[in-house]
Amino acid sequence: MYTLYLDTHSNAINIVLYQDDTLLIKKEIVTEQNQSTTTIPVLIEVLETAKIDITRLKEIIVVNGPGSFTGIRIGVTIAKTLAYTLNIPIKTLTSLEIKAVSIDHDIVRIIEREKNGVFLGTFDAQNQRIGDYTYLKTSEYQKEDMDKEDIQMDYEKIKKYTNSLKPLNPHQVNPLYVKKIEVQK
Amino acid sequence: MKDVYLLAIESSCDETSMAIVKNGRTIESFTVLTQMDTHANFGGVVPEIASRMHTENITMVFEETLKKSNIKMEDVDAIAVTYAPGLLGSLLVGVEFAKTLCLVYKKPLIAVNHTIGHIYANAIEHTLEFPLLALVVSGGHTDLILMKKDYDFEILGSTLDDAVGECYDKVARVLGLKYPGGPNVDKLAMDGNDTYPLPKPVNDQSYNFSFSGLKSYIINLVHNETQRGNEIRKNDLAKSFQVTVVDELIRKVELALQHNDVKELIIAGGVSANRHLREEIKKVADKYQVHLSIPKIEYCTDNAAMIGAAAYPLYKQKKFADFTLNASSSGSIVQKKDN
Repeated sequence: MYTLYLDTHSNAINIVLYQDDTLLIKKEIVTEQNQSTTTIPVLIEVLETAKIDITRLKEIIVVNGPGSFTGIRIGVTIAKTLAYTLNIPIKTLTSLEIKAVSIDHDIVRIIEREKNGVFLGTFDAQNQRIGDYTYLKTSEYQKEDMDKEDIQMDYEKIKKYTNSLKPLNPHQVNPLYVKKIEVQK
Repeated sequence: MKDVYLLAIESSCDETSMAIVKNGRTIESFTVLTQMDTHANFGGVVPEIASRMHTENITMVFEETLKKSNIKMEDVDAIAVTYAPGLLGSLLVGVEFAKTLCLVYKKPLIAVNHTIGHIYANAIEHTLEFPLLALVVSGGHTDLILMKKDYDFEILGSTLDDAVGECYDKVARVLGLKYPGGPNVDKLAMDGNDTYPLPKPVNDQSYNFSFSGLKSYIINLVHNETQRGNEIRKNDLAKSFQVTVVDELIRKVELALQHNDVKELIIAGGVSANRHLREEIKKVADKYQVHLSIPKIEYCTDNAAMIGAAAYPLYKQKKFADFTLNASSSGSIVQKKDN
């Protein structure tokens, strides 16, 4: 069974193709501008490398934020459209969750940086989130001992973690912005 | 000849719209989901909120559009999408959605310019007669365009500053009207009299327009009268403004008709829904004995049906886009000519 993992929450595009729980292909591209010109071409490249047609995908996993507003919209729009049109399950992961599940830890606060600030999420040893995700301006952020920032993703661990998640209705899959915009304040 | 079915997608501003269009002129299915009520709370379109709502709604609008028609995705020949001009974040949602559909259903992609879409709203249920003169009036455009054939655009004149729709929105705001401003000014003017003397915009022999002077004059007038404690007769001011603007549009249309031999006059863009403009342009078309085409009201505002109509000539010429298609906030229709 083929699973597609799509992550465009930062200035990078990460696409992973799994066969069952095994990582088959992983492609990372760092983009200069928005991900619009490259995401679908990279996805096509991954499918071509694996020599499978898109209709053989049986599951979609998408990182729905927080991160670049445009980035997560591109990823989520592609992912929910794939899930809806192919009629396959879709699951979402946050940009903080993928870091937390990639490492062994006790209570940990995951830091995700963006241009002017940081997104924060605290997780227990079983990767259960403690409290809400928050956003702080860079100047407001004070580093704590339990903070972890530079984490190497472990895509096999990420995949195993998603096996316990419930699939969602594609219509209901939306970006997780966390950061408020001016008019909402 | 086999019928051609295009699925068209429009998300350039605050409407998520899709349509299935047969042979560029028959609307098989049509959905518009407007965000107008949400943006009215902020007095205008908030780009980030518009983008968010497109993402939330896009697959539902697709489902609805397919449900309303007997056409299945297998029967669709190509997928057309507005790629420019408009709000970048909003356009991107439509563009990525369209590309994903093309990937799944293995269909060609057609990139459509939004302004050209407005012009081709006139090709719905109607065959354009060339050469034609097009008056494009919207929140972003005020152009007089001469077309000798499909996708051949010669811009005779444009606004030197504000677009006419933009001017309507600013005047609406100073009159304390809700968003969307244009239709509300039009409504208010219905019960008004042209009693406020207002300055005429560019009163010259060019085909260009200018509305910022008129806009500033009205803003100052309202400000000064309010300062003096005088009440503004809003209906009358709306009427005087509307008359001044439409007079100027008509005067330039008339000038263009005098110097260019055309078979048809068309109006396009959101402001073409304006009632006074519709009445006056009919008079000028009659005077010069040219056929007049005005889109139905539902095809004047942003919609995907017009995108399907505008995509059809590109489909026939096999002018397809590839998966690297990007959205763009700006985009002249003239650049499109040689693509």
